[in-house]
Amino acid sequence: MRNKLLALTACLLASTASYAADPGVSDTEIKIGDVNIMTGPASFIGRAVAVGSKIAAAEINEAGGVNGRKITIVTEDDGYIPARSFQALTKLIEVDEIFALNGTSGTANVLAMMPLIEENNLPTVVTTAPNELVYDPVRPSVFTIGGSYSDAFYGQLKYIHENLEPENPVYGLIRQDDDFGGAIEHGYERAIEEFGVKDGLRVRFKKGTANFAAEVAQMKQAGVNVLANGGIIAGAANILGEARKLSMDMQVASVWSEDMPPSVNLSAPAGYDYLVADYVALNGPDYDRFMEKARKYASEEEVAAINRYTLVTYVGLSALAEAMKQCGQELTRDCTIEKLRGLKNFDTQGVAAPISFDNEQQLSGTALAIYQLNAADKSFKRLTDFTDY
Amino acid sequence: MDFLLLLISTGLVSGAAYGLIAMGFALIFKSTGVVNFAQGELVMLTAYISFTIYSTFELSFFPLMLVTIPISMLIGLVLERVFIRPMLGEPVFAIVMVTVGLAVILRGITIMIWGPDPFNFTAGLSTNVVYLGSIPFYPAQLYLIAALGVMTLLGWAFLRFTRMGIAMRAVAANETAALLVGISVSRIHAVAWMLSAAIASVAGVLFAANYKLAPDLWFQGLKSFPAVILGGMDSVIGSAMAGLIIGVIENLFQGYIGQGLREISGFIVIIIVLMVRPYGLFGSKDIERV
Repeated sequence: MRNKLLALTACLLASTASYAADPGVSDTEIKIGDVNIMTGPASFIGRAVAVGSKIAAAEINEAGGVNGRKITIVTEDDGYIPARSFQALTKLIEVDEIFALNGTSGTANVLAMMPLIEENNLPTVVTTAPNELVYDPVRPSVFTIGGSYSDAFYGQLKYIHENLEPENPVYGLIRQDDDFGGAIEHGYERAIEEFGVKDGLRVRFKKGTANFAAEVAQMKQAGVNVLANGGIIAGAANILGEARKLSMDMQVASVWSEDMPPSVNLSAPAGYDYLVADYVALNGPDYDRFMEKARKYASEEEVAAINRYTLVTYVGLSALAEAMKQCGQELTRDCTIEKLRGLKNFDTQGVAAPISFDNEQQLSGTALAIYQLNAADKSFKRLTDFTDY
Repeated sequence: MDFLLLLISTGLVSGAAYGLIAMGFALIFKSTGVVNFAQGELVMLTAYISFTIYSTFELSFFPLMLVTIPISMLIGLVLERVFIRPMLGEPVFAIVMVTVGLAVILRGITIMIWGPDPFNFTAGLSTNVVYLGSIPFYPAQLYLIAALGVMTLLGWAFLRFTRMGIAMRAVAANETAALLVGISVSRIHAVAWMLSAAIASVAGVLFAANYKLAPDLWFQGLKSFPAVILGGMDSVIGSAMAGLIIGVIENLFQGYIGQGLREISGFIVIIIVLMVRPYGLFGSKDIERV
């Protein structure tokens, strides 16, 4: 009788094992959440992010899933509005019952979601907002992939200083008057101090500014011939357009958003072969292999939407899946977080530098490669390997 | 000296954009008493329509505008008939709220049709730099300043000499009295929306030719609003002039003082002017503000 009771208890425990696990995991499926910018002017980022998740999930699922469980991506739109990000994640947690989070929208958005992430001990990989505010202070379940704007600008200015060697260099900075602009100025400041070059002018502008005529005229008057261009997309293009009008001959360092095709289309007509620093590959055999995968798993329309954000999200989900895989059949959030924390030199197949979260900040992929635009054919040439600055 | 001239010249360019958009605001307010919060969206929508026409038929600037302006006027008429006409007789605040809703709808439609990516839109204009004296310009910049001049002149002549323009002024002065003398107020409202849409299209196309075409173009409507306040909400010509003033002041503040003062400089001027002339530089004393 006693043996029968023990056997019955064991059967009951076995049959309820999957129900006792954390939300979002069944015997056949793992639900991964994605809070993303699917509507509004910044939705070209969200579309690219969604394609990255789709390609990674399709690749993992085709290879048998995570220990036999297929990954399902559940996407919620936040329209790039932090309050909506909070609502979206609430829905993902309470209605969809996700296991982990991969897409996290912008910096303000991920910060808005942070209380929910911490409260639910949600394994979260942040790839599109590698801002210091996200990883300092470190939150136990949050892992960040990406370099900093500060390093990106320092790296580009270092390359200009050491390799392009402009005559009588006068450096200038134009940047937004917010945290993002502050990070750029931090890298600029570091370069100015380290290289001992002339700091011609620093100008701030409000987000959404379209007319940069006065700012660029100031740059011209200050004799700037090395410009740290902190404008993004149309703003960056308008700055370069004004510089071209004033016949300014200069080397330009840019934000990594300027390697996306829509940005290149806007800026290239100004004729400046500007630099960008990015933590993902923009060309080369590794990039070509990724695009082959993209064409296999994504539709033509989705492939057309691919930009750097696709690659960073692909890397994020791949790293998350690797950690979940290491947990074996007993997949829990605690285990996933522990395995993410122990992840070391995870191979991204050359799409980014290898991922290691075994550091205090749980931050990886900070190594940046420098690229230079050829404005004539709108292509990028890789100038350096992934390097930590 | 060149630096000063450069700041003034480029200030006139951005000021011309403010002025054109502000004219559209003032025209509708003058004849209907309503602040159209969808004016910026109208500027954006007509610019995108023009972009599609340009991309399809590769027209040069003037033929492009000859096609764009009538289409924009038709859009203005449809918006007035569908959204504003049913609200006739309702409180002004309710109509203003309808324009706020309309703005959101137009923004959504624009992104739904054209997507979120920004575009280079030359509007058929050359991108070679031309010089006036020692000051460099892009042709689109000169066209923008010229367009403000032409539209201001046409606006003045229309309001001063045409039957429709005089009727519009009559409606603005006293709607009930205008009705009593046989003026069709609803027709005047429709014409105001059509003309406002026409001005919006000129502003939108030339703004996009200068500063790129993106789904945040609607925001220029809000940025131009201070020009309407400064010029006088019921003064079409005053709004145009005020746009230029704000554009130049912004550039001078940025150029000589810098550090983001561009954004607040226009408002400083507005506060000072309104303390002296609460109805704006060119506005009527008895206007009701919303």
